[in-house]
Amino acid sequence: MTAVIETGGLGKRYRRLWALADCTLSVPAGHVVGLVGPNGAGKTTLLGLATGMLAPTAGTIEVLGGRPGAGPAQLARVGYLAQDAPVYAGLPVAAHLKLGAHLNPGWDAALARARIKRLGLDPGQKAGKLSGGQRAQLALTLAVAKRPELLILDEPVASLDPLARREFLQYLMESVGDQGLSVVLSSHLVADLERVCDYLIVLVGSRVQVAGPVEELLATHHLLSGPRRDPGSLPDGMRVISASHTDVQSTLLVRTSGPVLDPAWMVSEVGLEDLVLAYMSQAAGRGRRSHLEVQR
Amino acid sequence: MTWLTWRQFRVQAFTAAAALAAFAVLLAATGPHLASLYAASGIRGCQPASCGQLASNFLQQLYAAGTYWVLYLLGIVIILLAAAVIGLFWGAPLIARELETGTSALAWNQSITRTRWLAVKLTLTGLAAMAVTEGLSLMQAWWAAPIGRAVGYGAGGTNLAMGRFSSLVFATHGITPLGYAAFAFTLGVTAGVLIRRTVPAMAVTLAIFAVIQIAMPLWIRPHLFPAHHSVIPVTSLESISLQQGGLNGSRFNLGAENLPGQPGAWLLSSGAVNAAGQATSTSPAACTTQSMRNTSAFMDCLASHGIREAVSYQPASRYWSFQWTETAIYLALALALTGSCFWRLTRRRT
Repeated sequence: MTAVIETGGLGKRYRRLWALADCTLSVPAGHVVGLVGPNGAGKTTLLGLATGMLAPTAGTIEVLGGRPGAGPAQLARVGYLAQDAPVYAGLPVAAHLKLGAHLNPGWDAALARARIKRLGLDPGQKAGKLSGGQRAQLALTLAVAKRPELLILDEPVASLDPLARREFLQYLMESVGDQGLSVVLSSHLVADLERVCDYLIVLVGSRVQVAGPVEELLATHHLLSGPRRDPGSLPDGMRVISASHTDVQSTLLVRTSGPVLDPAWMVSEVGLEDLVLAYMSQAAGRGRRSHLEVQR
Repeated sequence: MTWLTWRQFRVQAFTAAAALAAFAVLLAATGPHLASLYAASGIRGCQPASCGQLASNFLQQLYAAGTYWVLYLLGIVIILLAAAVIGLFWGAPLIARELETGTSALAWNQSITRTRWLAVKLTLTGLAAMAVTEGLSLMQAWWAAPIGRAVGYGAGGTNLAMGRFSSLVFATHGITPLGYAAFAFTLGVTAGVLIRRTVPAMAVTLAIFAVIQIAMPLWIRPHLFPAHHSVIPVTSLESISLQQGGLNGSRFNLGAENLPGQPGAWLLSSGAVNAAGQATSTSPAACTTQSMRNTSAFMDCLASHGIREAVSYQPASRYWSFQWTETAIYLALALALTGSCFWRLTRRRT
């Protein structure tokens, strides 16, 4: 399987701030990839670079083996649903489908029509009058019916209510199953991604903290608890992601490729949410440490 | 992309078509009567000696009737405003609204490059802008043709008697409306691309367009070609206006209105010079006596003291050179603005 997104030392700077720095990734095809991180972590920037909406300041990026947004053929292979699912407020639903048909050689008109019908959208209704959930569904229809190989969604469910959220993700998963799409979707909430993603990228503070298949991530991260001890005394190959201590006890979230052999530890499984939170607080702590040292 | 452009533009297109139609109806309803008044005036086939007087009579008749004078000015104002309105309401929102509402992200992720998207939008809307403005201008030119011919015979004396070089007439006839429309439209688009918000882009467009439309006739147009200069006897002037001082005063100020032998010429400046060729405004003592009751006696007196009139002007034969040059300037500006839009939207991706 080739990579859908391949980056090397990728960076994007706005004036003096790096929105994304030193990002090296290889996302294999055939996955539903969750890109998770807090607000302002650089998720939109990374997705913007992948669609060619932005040009990199540093490094390289290839999407499906081509330069993002390089030409009509490349654009046809990537579907993109921008944040807040923009649609033409003044144009009716039907005009959006016609727009898709006119601008995409691979347009699947039957698919688009069937989907609008199933959603119960009135083709004559102005898109500006649709609810947030309906608007997102219309935008998703446009992105799916152009029959891309890779579908990129930027915070697609952030503004939706729980029901619309579930329906949106449900349809998304159906499309993935039907069309063999690769999908990258971002969110600042792990809960949104947990049910649909089988690959995870954690992006915090404009840097990629961890990336890999969800199963592999869960298999290599463990929660250890035992008598209090210095995290530095752990064996090689075991990396501490987060640690908390009481007077007598230490609780560590570690990443290790091998089994945990030390009988002093009680080993338990880690949930995806805890794992992501550990990486987020680790990155946040790294940012704060220098600040604390100055205070001392 | 043509379809989407048309779909987004069609309301404006229908509005413009309706405006053109209303203008056409207004002119078609009044034009024939204007033409019949001209036919009855006897200007056609006039003896050279009487043409000027007949033409003046004709214009005075129109002016007294009121309606035609109002319609004439209204037409000119509509054409002048058309370019500005197009820049504001077609140009500025064209890209700015897409950037503002985020629909550019939708458009740019269809299977079409940003270059093509922009090219189609600019071409179709831009050509429509030029067609509408020039259409208004041609209709007005048809309607006002009798007035233009009368002015060409040297008719004067009313506010209708604006020569082809006067700011209002020059800017609304010939091919200049094409240039203004193209410039105003691309100015609006560029402001929208740079500012990325519709309303501020409209404000900036209006401000810049207004400044340029004022600067052009005042400071740029007169110097597009080197002016002709000549010094002529005051007595040979067909029409002259005496300002302040005048008869019996110690100071005088001469302003020529028409130039003998140069019908339709654009007078840029005129002023009295003495025998040594220096500008003067002091009446010779001999000319301020009681005997100088009327203008011609005063003029003769000035002439006998060696005072002549120095004028600089653009000959009427240069009308189309001016039209082409000015249109070319505006079209070149429009092209430069278009280029900057492409550069901004494709090279520096945002």
